Amino acid sequence: MSELERVAAFLDELGEELGLGIPQVLSLNLVLEEALSNIILYGYDDKNQHRIEINFKMEGDQLAISLIDDGQPYDPTLRADPDTTLSVEERPVGGLGIFLIKKIMDKVEYERKSNKNYLILTKNMKP
Amino acid sequence: MNVQVSTSADYTVVCVDGRVDTTNASELEKSMLEVIEGGGTKIILDCSGLNYISSSGLRVFLVIQKKLMLLKGQFRLCSLQPGIKEIFDISGFSSIFSLFADTEAAMNG
Repeated sequence: MSELERVAAFLDELGEELGLGIPQVLSLNLVLEEALSNIILYGYDDKNQHRIEINFKMEGDQLAISLIDDGQPYDPTLRADPDTTLSVEERPVGGLGIFLIKKIMDKVEYERKSNKNYLILTKNMKP
Repeated sequence: MNVQVSTSADYTVVCVDGRVDTTNASELEKSMLEVIEGGGTKIILDCSGLNYISSSGLRVFLVIQKKLMLLKGQFRLCSLQPGIKEIFDISGFSSIFSLFADTEAAMNG
């Protein structure tokens, strides 16, 4: 989990390079934290070291982030959205991470290829 | 993240600064639960210095809100930065929390 700090630092640099505003960098940070913590907390049933690959691709204003992991098959796009209209009492604790990813990014795509999960997140970054 | 607790006549004001994320949300939860265990059931959470929150932080907010409701206490949030307010709006949290412009408004509200 401490690796998440490296992600935040990398995003600060990337944001500067791409000329993104602080709110945009923080949104991307949030999206990556949610995606990565899901993989790290729920993706593995062993204690071995695993590698999660994160790629960033900017084409015009379109930013595509892909996360590739060798954890258990898991398609977050199939997860039902939480009911955000429930009262405090009814509202279940948790389950917001993937929903935030879906709301912040324009497109969330999943593929399982050669025993790996591919999560591709795209967003138009035009300010 | 930095958490500071101060007590006034009616309310316990908890100031949270910096980032609340997967790595430290449990620390915030612990600090808030300590306030409640110490008898503080009217809490104002001053978010003026909070510039990042992820779902693990939102989870803590909801846990505290549920707990204080059961205790017939009060949980008021104030001074949310625009980026944090946006996350609250997306999550539906803006309608289940009492949000105020600043600590003064939260105390008088």
